[in-house]
Amino acid sequence: MMSAAVIPILQVTALAKRFGGLQALGGVELAVAPGEFRAIIGPNGAGKSTFFNTITGLLRPDSGRVIFEGRDVAGTAPHLLVRQGMGRTFQITSMFPDLSVRENLQVALLAHARRNWSIWPYARQMHTERAHELLHLVGLAGDAGLPAGTLAHGDQKRLELAIALAGEPRLLLLDEPTAGMAAQERIESISLVHRLATQLGVSCVFTEHDMAVVFAVATNITVLHQGRVLAEGSPAQVRANPLVQQVYLGESITSEGVCR
Amino acid sequence: MSRKVPIALGGALALAALPFAISDFWIFIAIEVLAFALYAVSFNVLLGYGGMLSFGHAAFFGIGAYAAALLVKKAGMAPGLAFALFPLAAMAAAALVAAIIGFFSVRRSGIYFGMLTFAFQMLLYTIALKATGLTGGDDGITGLKPPGAFARPAVYYYFALAITVPALYVLYRLVSSPFGTILRALRSNPRRVQTIGVNVRSHQLAAFVISGAFAGLAGALFAMSSGNVFPGWLNWTASATPIVMAVLGGVSTFLGPALGAAVYVVLEVMISGRTEYWPLAMGVIILALVLLMPAGLTGLARARRT
Repeated sequence: MMSAAVIPILQVTALAKRFGGLQALGGVELAVAPGEFRAIIGPNGAGKSTFFNTITGLLRPDSGRVIFEGRDVAGTAPHLLVRQGMGRTFQITSMFPDLSVRENLQVALLAHARRNWSIWPYARQMHTERAHELLHLVGLAGDAGLPAGTLAHGDQKRLELAIALAGEPRLLLLDEPTAGMAAQERIESISLVHRLATQLGVSCVFTEHDMAVVFAVATNITVLHQGRVLAEGSPAQVRANPLVQQVYLGESITSEGVCR
Repeated sequence: MSRKVPIALGGALALAALPFAISDFWIFIAIEVLAFALYAVSFNVLLGYGGMLSFGHAAFFGIGAYAAALLVKKAGMAPGLAFALFPLAAMAAAALVAAIIGFFSVRRSGIYFGMLTFAFQMLLYTIALKATGLTGGDDGITGLKPPGAFARPAVYYYFALAITVPALYVLYRLVSSPFGTILRALRSNPRRVQTIGVNVRSHQLAAFVISGAFAGLAGALFAMSSGNVFPGWLNWTASATPIVMAVLGGVSTFLGPALGAAVYVVLEVMISGRTEYWPLAMGVIILALVLLMPAGLTGLARARRT
């Protein structure tokens, strides 16, 4: 939990979203302090994806507030949220497979520099230095000329991270950043995100299934269950919480991850 | 780059010398090729770069043609002035119509986007057919003639060339620009483009309006050469033409669709001059194209080289 003196970078109050008969979110509360690396966990169907898509503007909440850096942004279009400093990555790797690795970053940098409507100058030489710096940060500097679609899955995730960082976000939302990766690759990948976020001063909120990944990097953990916050606190507090252990029925949460 | 310069110079020389080498009939065909090359390339800005398949692009070609025809025949202007203004008038009219059609169409993607463009085009076709007082209905508008020396095929050819080449250059700069790069990213992954801070619909709408404006210019150039414009130019069957041209030439290169237009127009002239079975020949060509060379003629040339 955070002290009252810190102004949260992201504060969510009473967020609700219903799909027909299903109450996907039933009044979610969340406050993320600057510099946090917050994990959102919960069993399948807990509402993690809906929560994420509502914060990032892909879904409009039925009620509740999403306050980003002091402004209520609930229902704001996704592209405007990004311009205000809230970046995101997707569960399913999402980059531009037909474009080269370098062009993937140039596109993100052009958009960030608001060059979308520039229709005369050649784009090929624009932002190449910054693109290279970002590729260097995520360890893809050697692959700049390759079509992004030909990269290995883990490298595509790195590229997606670089694309998100190109927009200089102050808050980065990562939806299952290690989905589809092998076990040891996951820790490596989340550690890279953690290192870069710390280095660049970016606060992070991420959803994750793999408890080993969560406990490796999270500063605080929020547990969602049936569209509500079941528990919240430091990794040690959450691990010791009997409610949480009940929800993960038959699974004991340890620092090594979920043992089945 | 080093190979591109001599090819461009050679191409420019060949285009400039063409009227001296061929008969008036083939100069007419060459003008048609120029107009349809511009049409196919402007269409491909949407398809090949933006990943948007418009089923109603004939609407813009037709609107441009009607705008030029009405300006020349019914605006009561001096012929020279009307002739000087028709390219701009055609582009403005097509852009306006594209802005309206695009406003609704870019709200959907894929087949639904295509069906919306299709539906709007049928509306315009019906107007062209039934607003007899303005459009001449089924009879169309005939007797269009450029003033003075421009009526000579060779002179009009140079006029069309002087419009088509700069227009193609503008489109080339467009697709190579930041705007065009983001357009290519849109074809690749629209959702991701949204989350780098781009308003996807506005971007698609802008591409749609620009594409429509140049298609309108192409339609007007062709109308002034052929001397008439008919409602059939806006019919849905006419919207297949730029699709076939672009796919024939190759959608992944800038000038591929222009090459496709040239091959299509010349084949049509040669085959329909000998037999009434041009649609049959076109069907066979499309089959061969999709089955044997899905990347089009330019794709075939590229595969040979590597």
